[in-house]
Amino acid sequence: MDTDRAERFVTGDINRFAMLLFLLSETAFFAFLIIAYVYFHNAVTSGPDAANSLDPWKSGIYTVFLLTSSFTVWRAEKCYSRGRRGAFLKWLLVTILLGAVFLFGQGREYLHLYRGNVTVNRNVFGTAFFTLTGFHGLHVLLGLIALAVLFGLALADSRCSQSSAVRTIATYWHFVDWVWVVIFSVVYLWSLF
Amino acid sequence: MSDTPYIPGAADLSIAPDIEARSGLLSWVASVDHKRIGIMYLLSSLFFFGVGGIEALLMRIQLARPNNNFLSPAAFNQIFTMHGTTMIFLVAMPVLTGMANYLVPLMIGAKDMAFPRLNALSLWLLVFGGLLLYFSFFAGGAPAVGWFSYAPLSEIPYSPTTGVDYYALSLVVLGIASIVAAINLIVTIAKFRAPGLTIRRLPLFVWMVLVTQVMILLALPALNASLAMLLIDRLMHGNFFVPVAGGSALLWQHFFWAFGHPEVYIVVLPAFGMISEVIPVFSGKVIYGYEFVAASTVAIAVLSYLVWAHHMFAVGLGHPVDLMFAMGSMLIAVPTGVKIFNWIATMWGGSIRFTASMLFAVGFLLMFTIGGLSGVSFAAFPIDWQVTDTYYLVAHIHYVLFGGTIFAVFAGLYYWFPKISGRMLSETLGKWHFWLMLIGFNMTFFDQHFLGLMGMTRRTFTYPDLPGWAALNMISSIGAGVMGLAVAVFLWNIAASLLRGEIAGDNPWNAWTLEWATSSPPPPDNFKRLPPIRSRRPLWDLAHPENPDWTHGH
Amino acid sequence: MLGGSPFNPASTLAQPITHLFLVLGFVMVAILLLVTVLVLYASFRFRQRPGASQPEQNFGRTGLEIAWTVAPFLLLVYIFTVTVHTLHGADPEVSADRQPDVVIVGHQWWWEARYASSHVVASNEIHIPVGKLLLVRLESADVIHDWWVPQLGRKMDAVPGHPNHFWLEADAPGTYLGTCAEYCGAEHAWMRIRVIAQSEADFESWSEHQLEIPAQPDTGEAAQGAQLFQQLTCADCHTISGTSATANIGPNLTHLAERQTLATGRLENTPANLAQWLSDPQAVKPDVHMPNFEMTTDQVHDLTAYLETLR
Repeated sequence: MDTDRAERFVTGDINRFAMLLFLLSETAFFAFLIIAYVYFHNAVTSGPDAANSLDPWKSGIYTVFLLTSSFTVWRAEKCYSRGRRGAFLKWLLVTILLGAVFLFGQGREYLHLYRGNVTVNRNVFGTAFFTLTGFHGLHVLLGLIALAVLFGLALADSRCSQSSAVRTIATYWHFVDWVWVVIFSVVYLWSLF
Repeated sequence: MSDTPYIPGAADLSIAPDIEARSGLLSWVASVDHKRIGIMYLLSSLFFFGVGGIEALLMRIQLARPNNNFLSPAAFNQIFTMHGTTMIFLVAMPVLTGMANYLVPLMIGAKDMAFPRLNALSLWLLVFGGLLLYFSFFAGGAPAVGWFSYAPLSEIPYSPTTGVDYYALSLVVLGIASIVAAINLIVTIAKFRAPGLTIRRLPLFVWMVLVTQVMILLALPALNASLAMLLIDRLMHGNFFVPVAGGSALLWQHFFWAFGHPEVYIVVLPAFGMISEVIPVFSGKVIYGYEFVAASTVAIAVLSYLVWAHHMFAVGLGHPVDLMFAMGSMLIAVPTGVKIFNWIATMWGGSIRFTASMLFAVGFLLMFTIGGLSGVSFAAFPIDWQVTDTYYLVAHIHYVLFGGTIFAVFAGLYYWFPKISGRMLSETLGKWHFWLMLIGFNMTFFDQHFLGLMGMTRRTFTYPDLPGWAALNMISSIGAGVMGLAVAVFLWNIAASLLRGEIAGDNPWNAWTLEWATSSPPPPDNFKRLPPIRSRRPLWDLAHPENPDWTHGH
Repeated sequence: MLGGSPFNPASTLAQPITHLFLVLGFVMVAILLLVTVLVLYASFRFRQRPGASQPEQNFGRTGLEIAWTVAPFLLLVYIFTVTVHTLHGADPEVSADRQPDVVIVGHQWWWEARYASSHVVASNEIHIPVGKLLLVRLESADVIHDWWVPQLGRKMDAVPGHPNHFWLEADAPGTYLGTCAEYCGAEHAWMRIRVIAQSEADFESWSEHQLEIPAQPDTGEAAQGAQLFQQLTCADCHTISGTSATANIGPNLTHLAERQTLATGRLENTPANLAQWLSDPQAVKPDVHMPNFEMTTDQVHDLTAYLETLR
């Protein structure tokens, strides 16, 4: 396939491509933490486990907030690409708020578990649960910071200057949300059976 | 002649655009030019090669005689751990990444890497990771758990000093550096090729680097996850790998080798790539079977994820599991082995120039074959049940990693040194380097096959005076000294050649790929003009208008 | 030279592995010879000659490449088949209801063996009857160790939390040397194994003798040594049958004086070496878990005298 590549070069291409490659490595990283959780799922013979410690319904509500933020960030992307700056900023802000609510919910859950002596060192469930959900929460936090920086930069910039940053960070945000779907299923939904 | 497309290069993205043109320490430290970063990778690797080599010499002094007390057990155990960790993570991976960094943009006709600043980040994360690992010596002791740090020995009750913490943190930093560099290289190769350079026309070195970077994206996360889990165990009293608390010692092994096996191919495939550049040029013939060599590389990459538990044959996984992994491990020998035939076929009928580079390439063929064959013996796992964790295994790993990767790196360095520095390395010193290295290496490691078969286990700070053990160990230790001498000759060669070496010119070897179409060293944005690219060997086509490659459909 | 080697098999379990190795060895040497001859021949035959013309640019022949892909593949199929056939002889299946004959536990840095039927407890020097296939359950008290006696068969990891089973058998009476084969910490090098195979009759009398309790000395230095043993907290780690010392952190010392070595193969078992060990275990085997009790010369003397009575 011998085509002249000069005109096809676009900076935006490479930023999002790089993000996708990064997310490939992140998928592998989370896969291993999930495998560890699954490995220990049936190994807990005493003490807290998923069935007796977790509240899938409460976490489910916070999950809805997180997944909705995927929709809102998609709306933000669309507005940005059409140059609708005001709408873009609003959708972006809602995304950040929804993500913050999710993290808040995670924090409440952690506090509740900690008070009930379900800790990272209590047993293998505690270790595996906090590691898996903790790394996810960390990724959500980093995503929120990136979205906030994006929001700040966009506020200061009076036009929608077609930066690739919006698509790139939105791609990361989608990943963080959909990894949670897998984690939520493996950790919370599975505890119901 | 076609112009290079507009692609932001180092000059556009540097914090101070004129800094790249300057000399002096600051201009190097602040550089985002892939050529300078590549050189700094190589310098870092060379430094740690010296450190790892000294660690090896210290061990061989201790092991030269039975019941020796030159090193205490604690010292020996820290040194063998640091030797392995250094050689894999601070030498093998960085030297290959460094050469890829330097050469890939040149070989694809680009001005720089896709993300020059990210490139600098990878380099400095490497340096930081290396310093972090070695800081452990000053913080209460280096790790003493072996480079793959099995649990629960690596847990707090059995490794109470901070050594293992530094090991884990350092490797996480290095893992991130590798992943970032991998993203950079993949995007560069995918998007920055000069017009006419299709994927099928990629030089084999670039192709193998590409496949390797994809493997890095899928293997290093396994290590990072394992290390995160180990750190949570150690620093937060987690239970992942603590059997008495319900954790699993075997889970560490599975996770580590899920990284560890692809890792050994990660450190060998770019080496195969260098051999695939060197042998054709010095045989005066095109590589025999480019498509097969390229396809076998992908086969190796895929298969490498399916064989990890061949490091665990003695762990008690059961015959069905052992058989599955034996099958995969034997299978992977096929794409690895056929490359040897392709390289020999390239030499066959050629007009071979035995430069120092070619000597190392031929040495590689023989040494890697030995290592590969002993590897097959492990795949027949009842044999593994006898020889794993013995000096037979130590011999195997050094034949593939040193006789393989390092010999190939020497071949590559002698080949590309003129391009990087503008001067030729001394061929005379190069030949001395080669013969001393070949003799020293085989003296050190060939007898270790026998030591293993006589019952000597690895990672032992001393051994009883059983018949024959002392003599073979002494020969091995003397061989290590000869290897040290060979490295000294090499370092002398580099120093002397940088100062007074013959000026190289653009293409001293009459080679064919794009890096030879510019000056030595190349200008900051790499190319003033590119030749037309209609095949895998643009400069061959230019020099042989009567018989260009593209008339053969290549 | 081939004393403790897989190439000197002394067990029906080790022989199939040796045979497999000879097959592989033959194949490996043949291929290495082939590659070496081809490389060296090509190097000499196709050296650049002065005035030589440009060599023909041969891009490859698919047929040849397929051939040299298929041929190694077929060879590997053969090797795989031989491998499968070796399994049953080298590592026979263990039926689910079969109880182990011996439980071997790896510790940092010594071996414990508990015989199921006789309830004998041995340390480091493990006696077995000749010609009988014994099922061993292998465990670890701390980190991963590995049992390896090359002449008697495969090695097997002792993994904490994951007991393994393997078979142990010797064809002829004798002492078979082995060692721990998985790095297990500071003194991994001195975690050696001796398997002493005896005739059925000798093994029975050894077992009975192991269960006998040595007479407690009541006079002289040995009696003082016996007292010291209790006072100096030796009982916190070691067992001596017939006394109140029943701990299992260090080796069982009930018949210490009859063993061939001390400190898991580090020293020959002589009174002088025993005294040296007691004076400063850390000097003999650095970082071993037995502390230096900083005993006086007299204390060492008495304790040695006592331990020498443990026959």
